[in-house]
Amino acid sequence: MSNPIKLSLILSAAFCLAVPAYAQVDPEEVFKENDCHKCHHATKAKKGPALAKIAARYKEKKLDEKEAIKHMTSGKKVKLEDGTEEEHKIIDTKDIAVQTAVAKWMLDR
Amino acid sequence: MKRRALIAGVSVTAIAAGCMSMATGPQAIDWNKVPATTVTLFYPGQSSYEWLRSDAHKGASRETARGDACVSCHDDPKEEQIQGRKILRGDHPLEPQAAVLKGKNGHVDVGVQAAYDDKNLYLRYQWKTHDPNHPGADYPGYRFDGKEWKAYGHMRLHKDTLAGKFPPIYENRMSLMLDDGKVSGFAQQGCWLTCHDGERDMANEASKDEVAANPLMMAIKKKDVRKYIPASRTDPSDWRSGKSMEEIATLKAAGEFLDLMQWRAHRSNKAGGADDGYVLEYRNFDGGKNHFSSNLDGKTKQPKFMFDAAKFGGKSFTAADYGKKEIILVKGVNAVPFDPNAGWKEGDILSQYVLSAADASGSAADNKAIGTWKDGMWTVVFIRPLGLANPDDKPLKAGGVYNVGFALHDDNMTGRGHHVSYVKTLGIGAKADIQAVKVN
Repeated sequence: MSNPIKLSLILSAAFCLAVPAYAQVDPEEVFKENDCHKCHHATKAKKGPALAKIAARYKEKKLDEKEAIKHMTSGKKVKLEDGTEEEHKIIDTKDIAVQTAVAKWMLDR
Repeated sequence: MKRRALIAGVSVTAIAAGCMSMATGPQAIDWNKVPATTVTLFYPGQSSYEWLRSDAHKGASRETARGDACVSCHDDPKEEQIQGRKILRGDHPLEPQAAVLKGKNGHVDVGVQAAYDDKNLYLRYQWKTHDPNHPGADYPGYRFDGKEWKAYGHMRLHKDTLAGKFPPIYENRMSLMLDDGKVSGFAQQGCWLTCHDGERDMANEASKDEVAANPLMMAIKKKDVRKYIPASRTDPSDWRSGKSMEEIATLKAAGEFLDLMQWRAHRSNKAGGADDGYVLEYRNFDGGKNHFSSNLDGKTKQPKFMFDAAKFGGKSFTAADYGKKEIILVKGVNAVPFDPNAGWKEGDILSQYVLSAADASGSAADNKAIGTWKDGMWTVVFIRPLGLANPDDKPLKAGGVYNVGFALHDDNMTGRGHHVSYVKTLGIGAKADIQAVKVN
């Protein structure tokens, strides 16, 4: 094996190892598998606020994905669009990398 | 063999066409000119009326109880794919038998076209069978064990099938449930209004003793719990709370029931029919006689008909023939009266039902159908007369818009083992999700 090929294989392997776990999941799929879309539409208000509205609010308040993860894992009471309250659903993964990927995807809407 | 198949095919087409002339019947329709809608059906598991109103239906129990439409939340363009995949993935509470369903498709696309003329509504369905090499027209039989004829075979989720007593055997079916606006909530929640805990293969399935002791079940002479609409119970979430027969008769007279029409690959197709039923306090058949009837004599406990050996290639079949041979017993085609002295031996099997287009009568015989399976795909043209006046039918008319739910049983399934659609609208020459266009 020639040196350039060896080098490229080593670099490729190194790159793969360096890719964070969340880059290997489809955050939109996780979002939908968890039925988050039942309450959160991309642009329109449903039972919960639209993703676009959430992203804008986070941007305005300079919040990041850590806050979003807290929101999706704590099960705290949330106020719904109709004024009532209920406990927010908890995402069914404890993998922080997957949670981060979903949070980033949501806030990027 | 080919000639026999041709004769059978021609006779079925002629039967289905019935009094319709070739110039105006289904054969005259150029389906290439009729718009097609793809309806995606998904596997619902045990998602009953009660489950949907429980906390297990996360974040939606209150909304469902309030009467919100399923699609007010489930509105993703790939919603059916998401839900079907999730329910079958192996750890979902709605499918306790997911392990034996490994590899099963979570959703199926059905092409739907609709047309009408002055006499009939025509619905053309097309879908690919789960097994591309088998049409799914088999049905459980009666197997001779040397002394008696005993039921052999059942659907994939039946306890005896799961226990390995026999292979999964069941017919494919394409069903349509239709509401004309008189069943409260159907426009929003469709077929889920009729699917309840306590029914066959559902959560908390009613025991035989419970059913036998229930006043309504006794009154209607039924041995199990099947689909019902909420209005037929004082507590819609409790199958035991049936209203009186007088109250149910009042509901029926007011049109508070759903029409349920089913095409069956085994029990109706070769007779050119599709059965006609309705859902009120139970999943009932319409009055009259179906295209199929039991092949077991209640007194002698022996079959009524056997195959004509000259036409079928034997007077009966064996378990090894399932999946390899078309095994459908049809009067006037391949059925002859049963001969108890024909030298029956252990392992001989005869059909549980015998078909007859000529015997079908009354309201039960209203619907016709023509189904063909080719290259792994069923094409079924379902024919429903307009303007039926029977008390167990929804009279369809030009200009009418109806709420409909589709269901497909495939892969040796019955009961809840089907794929279903969210509710759609069907317009006969009127704007709707599926719009029937005028022909001729």
